[in-house]
Order: sequence, then C-alpha cells, then structure tokens
Amino acid sequence: MKVTRVLLTVAAALILQMALARFAVGGRWVFDLVLVGVVYAALRWGPVSGMWAGTLGGLMQDALGSDLVGLGGLAKTVAGLGAGVVGGQFIVARPLARAGMVAGVTVVHRLLIIGLLAVVDQDWSGVSWTAMLIETGLNAVAGLLAFQLTDMVPGAVRQTRDRRRSSLSRRNW
Amino acid sequence: MGSTRRTLVLFLVLSFGHLLLMSVQVQTRSRMPLLQAAAFGVFAGVQHFTAGLADMGRSFWSNYVALRGVVAENDALQRQVLALEGQVQAQAAIASQTRDLERLLNLQQSLVAPTLAAHVIAGDPAPGAFTITIDRGSADGVEPNMAVIGHAGVIGRVINRPTAHAAQVQLLIGRNAGAGAITERSEAVGFIRGGAGNPPLRMEWVDLLKDVQIGERVLTAGIGGIFPRGFVIGIVERAVKGSGSGIYSDIAVRPAMDFSNIHVVLVILARPARAEGGS
Repeated sequence: MKVTRVLLTVAAALILQMALARFAVGGRWVFDLVLVGVVYAALRWGPVSGMWAGTLGGLMQDALGSDLVGLGGLAKTVAGLGAGVVGGQFIVARPLARAGMVAGVTVVHRLLIIGLLAVVDQDWSGVSWTAMLIETGLNAVAGLLAFQLTDMVPGAVRQTRDRRRSSLSRRNW
Repeated sequence: MGSTRRTLVLFLVLSFGHLLLMSVQVQTRSRMPLLQAAAFGVFAGVQHFTAGLADMGRSFWSNYVALRGVVAENDALQRQVLALEGQVQAQAAIASQTRDLERLLNLQQSLVAPTLAAHVIAGDPAPGAFTITIDRGSADGVEPNMAVIGHAGVIGRVINRPTAHAAQVQLLIGRNAGAGAITERSEAVGFIRGGAGNPPLRMEWVDLLKDVQIGERVLTAGIGGIFPRGFVIGIVERAVKGSGSGIYSDIAVRPAMDFSNIHVVLVILARPARAEGGS
C-alpha cells in the first residue's frame, strides 16, 4: 500500500512538473515539484519511502532531461533521507513547519546539484541566488498546498459520509 | 537499531548505484541513450496528453474569459499587419532584385531548406535544465541535430533520437549547447556557448582585432553543418577585449528569442552535415 502511494506521489509530481515546466523553460520561474513530492513522501511515510521516492523521481527526471542520469537521483535520494530523518526526529505537523522543511530541503538539494555538476564538469558555474530563492519560495508554497489539500480530503470525505448517513437514518426513523 | 542500520545500508546501496551510473556516462562521454530513449518514448504520450489538457485550459481562458481589451488589441494588430505588409513588399522587391543579380552573375540561387512547424508539449522536468519536447518526430522527418528556430531567431537543435511523434530540443542557452557565429557589422567569427549566466550566451574565440560593437546583431555562421548561415542568435550586450588569455575578445550576447515563452517552433528539415552544437 505504501509502495503504491509513493509511486503515485512520484508519478503525479513528475507529470505536473513536466506539464508546468513547459511554460517556464529558461525563464525566471524555477520550481521542482518532484522534490516537493519526495519531501511529501518522506514526511508522510518515513525516510525509506523518502529515499525510494527520491531515487525514482530523480532518475525519471534525469532520464527525461538532458543532464547526467543519476545526478538528480543521488541528490533527491539524499534529500528524501534527510527530510525523513528530520521529520522523524522533530514534529513537523504544522503547515508552516512543513513549508519550512520543503524550503530547507530545496536549498540543500540545489547546492548538492551545483556541487555535483562542478565535480563532473570540473568547472564551477557559480550559484544563482535569485533562482535559488525563487525555487525555494515556489517549492515551499507547492509543499504547503500539497499537504493542506491532502489533509483536507479525508475530512471532507468523512463529513460528506456523515451527512449522508444522518439523512438516511432520519429517513428510516 | 536494526531499522536504522537497514536504512543506512539501503542509502549506501542507492547512492553507490547513482555514482556508478554517473561514472559510466562520464567515462564513455555518452548519455545513456538506451535508458533515456526508453523513458522519453514512454513519457512522450503522457506529455502529449498533459499538453492537450493545458492547452484546453489556456484556450478556454484566452478565448472565453480573458477577452477584455480585445478591440484595442485588434486595432493595434491591424496597424501592425499593415506595416508588416509594407515591409514584406519591400523585402520581396529586394529578393527580386537579388534574383536578377544572381541570374546576371550566373550564380547558383540560394536554396531555402523546408521547415516544419511544431508545438512545444513539455519542458525539461529538471529545473534549470534547457530542453523542450516538441510534437513532431521521426514520422515527420525530424532527425537528430536538425536546427530549430523561432519567430525571433535560433532556438536550438534536436538531440537524441526522436520517437515517431516527439523530439527533444536542446536550447541554445543550455549548458552544453553551442553554435558557430558571426557578428553582422564587424564580421567577427566565433563560437556561441550557452549556460553563461546573465546574459546566457557567450561568444568565444573572437579575434581581438575585430571591432565588435555593443548592440550589433550576432548571426549563425553556417559552419559546422547544423545551423544555416544568417539566422539571428542575439545582440551583443558586452564586449571586453583581451580578457582571459589576452588574445581573444570576450563577448556577452543577449538571445533574440524569449526562451521562457516558446509555444511554436520551426524545425529546419535539412540533413545536418556534422554536429557542432555541443554535446
């Protein structure tokens, strides 16, 4: 069950990222919804799920993109493990804490990617702090929305079910 | 304790796997064509579907919801069309004169390669990467290394092997992209490289003695066999003489295309002679 949920999370994040990235190629709007999905899986189902989500999401992202296959996979595996471990040590249940977690992991993940690229290319291309800031902000907002929406869904379903049940019982009585 | 150890072992195994995968590609200088081709083939259908959904939403918004100011826009566009028609006529006159001159000089008339319009259906899923996916592939005659242009200038080239109805395009502003270039006025020849920061293009290997001016247009040089000569790449934004080794000028180029807003592109269906545009 957990495996299916992790797979679904990664697939949804990947499809959403591909669909939206089309409108942001080479522009200022940098975001990584796959990373948001990885942090989501890590906080919801623990570090092992986060790691697997990171590996799968990262590898798919690499394979569909133009960079080295494994680069994003490694960075996202580390991100998934980190988010899972921190989420297990501290209570990250409040919306702002979760958004903060997504923001922190985004910064670490981006620095990791830049570092790995510098090692592979043997060339330091520098850090675009503006792009990193935008990515951090957008990812944090996306994370906040993802957690809030998925938290709201079971409550809304229960409410609808209760309402239907009470109207049925009234009818029977 | 056991669970922590298992997590750690799994992490090490996965990390080692990723490192191995990367090191294989770095050593062979290849980009895992099989894996990438398979992934691209599978996801091309999904990309078509999501692009269709997104276009439907956008079309609903732009055709029904966001119609304010359309009359004014229509007026402006009509004026623009009129001006452009005038320009087209002037260009036609120049072309006719050129043809006459070519005939007079007994020159072979310049061939214009056929082009194919394509829609952008997806961007690179990795943020900050510079590839797009278009809805034309091998069934439409698209081949690797074919040049791709937009309304304002050069966009990039087709990379990897296209599937039947989709192809991946590496943008010129990407980290590993490049093209032979020439400045319009001073005729300085050099190599345009992407991924240079702000502006994203850098023209390298330009002769120090050439007087490259800011604002000059940079065109494709037609060397290397991918991009035909004369397509606009961008505008010179900075020109520093003798930087680095001291024998070349360092030129920063602002691309003519707005890469953040590409919806339709043209693929030049000329068979490339050999690769010039980076890895």
